[in-house]
Amino acid sequence: MRIGALAALVPLTMLIGIAFGGAALAPGVLWNALAHPSAGGDAATIIWQLRIPRVAIAATVGATLALAGVLLQSLLRNPIVDPYLTGVSSGAGASIAIAATAGVAPALVPPLGFVSGLATAILVAVLARRGPRLDAERLVLAGVSLSALLSAFVTLALERLARGTASEAILAWLAGSLAGRGWADLGAAAPEAILGVVIGVATIPSLNVLRLGEGRAAALGVDVTRLQWALLVAATLLTAAAVALAGLVGFVGLVVPHLARRVVGPDLRALVPASVLAGASLVVLADTFARTLAAPAEIPLGVLLAFVGVPTFLVLYLRGAARAYA
Amino acid sequence: MRKPTSPLRAEAVPKQVKLALEDVEIERGGRTLLRDVSLVLDGGVIALVGANGVGKTTLLRTIAGALAPAAGAVRLDGVPVRTLHARERAQQIALVDPTEPVLAALTVAGAVAAARFPHHRWWEWEATPQDEAAVDEALRRTGLTTFRARELGTLSAGERQRVWIALAIAQRASVVLLDEPTSHLDLKASVETLQLIRELARDGALVIAVLHQLEEAAAFADRVIVLGCEGIVADGSPEGALTAESIERAYDVAVTVERRPGGLAFHRNAVLRQAHPQVTPRQDRP
Repeated sequence: MRIGALAALVPLTMLIGIAFGGAALAPGVLWNALAHPSAGGDAATIIWQLRIPRVAIAATVGATLALAGVLLQSLLRNPIVDPYLTGVSSGAGASIAIAATAGVAPALVPPLGFVSGLATAILVAVLARRGPRLDAERLVLAGVSLSALLSAFVTLALERLARGTASEAILAWLAGSLAGRGWADLGAAAPEAILGVVIGVATIPSLNVLRLGEGRAAALGVDVTRLQWALLVAATLLTAAAVALAGLVGFVGLVVPHLARRVVGPDLRALVPASVLAGASLVVLADTFARTLAAPAEIPLGVLLAFVGVPTFLVLYLRGAARAYA
Repeated sequence: MRKPTSPLRAEAVPKQVKLALEDVEIERGGRTLLRDVSLVLDGGVIALVGANGVGKTTLLRTIAGALAPAAGAVRLDGVPVRTLHARERAQQIALVDPTEPVLAALTVAGAVAAARFPHHRWWEWEATPQDEAAVDEALRRTGLTTFRARELGTLSAGERQRVWIALAIAQRASVVLLDEPTSHLDLKASVETLQLIRELARDGALVIAVLHQLEEAAAFADRVIVLGCEGIVADGSPEGALTAESIERAYDVAVTVERRPGGLAFHRNAVLRQAHPQVTPRQDRP
């Protein structure tokens, strides 16, 4: 029933995202444009070419980050893990920074970011290996230290380019934004997002057993090694899709699973759909604010989410929400 | 020796199985712990005792199929356990290890429900009526029915131990392996745990437990296997296996074994010579 309420939240926030934006549209105009997609005119263009794809992208970013967060938190048995731990974002960020400094053609930047994000995730995974399995402690250490190293590249590039215009690409990526994104971007990110969702959802029953610990899960018939790698691959693909679409949008992958856990409890069969739905609603809503609060200018989505989200998270955390493993 | 099956479990008696260890050699970190271990384990409560580091836990995990033996094979009704698919193995063998950390927010019922995992195919997500019946029965038999909604983080060590045994019951395994089920438990919780273990065996399960307290092994096991660094030191009834000679060979401590109604008592004669060379052996205590 609680999941039903969360499911209703998604179309509601999407409707809000479509109804509000930089240009104010009267309800009648809005309804006409929605009802007649091919009618033409400014309103139809705004709705169908700008807002609807943007809302769809925001929902995808929120859903993939939240799902990646749940999967990684289950893998590491740690409720305060962020999907960027996989190194995807810092790898993509560093390559975007280096590309911008070197003057690489803008069209090549997104695929370059995607490939280097995945390459960094593979490096983190290799460093985190102990025997065939992944070691939670090593994964955290490798992820955090590689991310720190790679963000140093971003800082260096920013410093070099401070007076040039090329730093805009880096700044936009760092701030996290959906400005200027359209159907083509969503199409490019869809394959990895879908693959990540399929792998992630298939692991749900084993994830419930993994809560008892790796040894007990193995004794109960879970192939722990395969499960760990499936989780890491799924989380990496989902994070890569989100980073390709929105740059660095923090807080969602960390906090949404946390809030969802408080609403539906720790059973992954409920927690996964709840996180996906809550993540999608949250980012759609946040992006609507990002577009409208300072229109015609945009507030970077990542910055907005951090301003609202981090204090919320801290309050929850300090009130004891993070108690989990003993 | 086994008593009739408990009426509580009439619908789900574990099938009787035979475990055979054939020339098993185990090692840990490249060091051979035990070699040429051959045993037939076919019922009742079997206690594994021996000094720390001799390989009891490693042997238990090898029997469970969680570790591969360095040589030889562990067969369950003739089939090498390592060749069984993980879920098939888990349908038959339960491993109870109280030491691993667990999600504290997990409820008792949620934890016990996870024991039904091996009985599901990967696409079967929802609990069946059989699952619910198995979980209810496991909670009832371990006295945890009123604890259903309690979170594991709020339980005492003894209550948590009962949860792990409830998992083994809900798993409906024919073989239940327990690693030091009574460590960190007070006297009452130890006795309750050991009584639960006896009930499992009475209902037909083959129960193998690593025990530290020789008195517990003597009082609750049908058969005791004493392990020393050269392999099996003694194997037999508690009175037959736990003799002063076998204990001295396994632990390097001289003891006097006293027969008492309902069990054995063990009195240390002297302190360990090799571990504390500066200490001169004392005279036997009265």
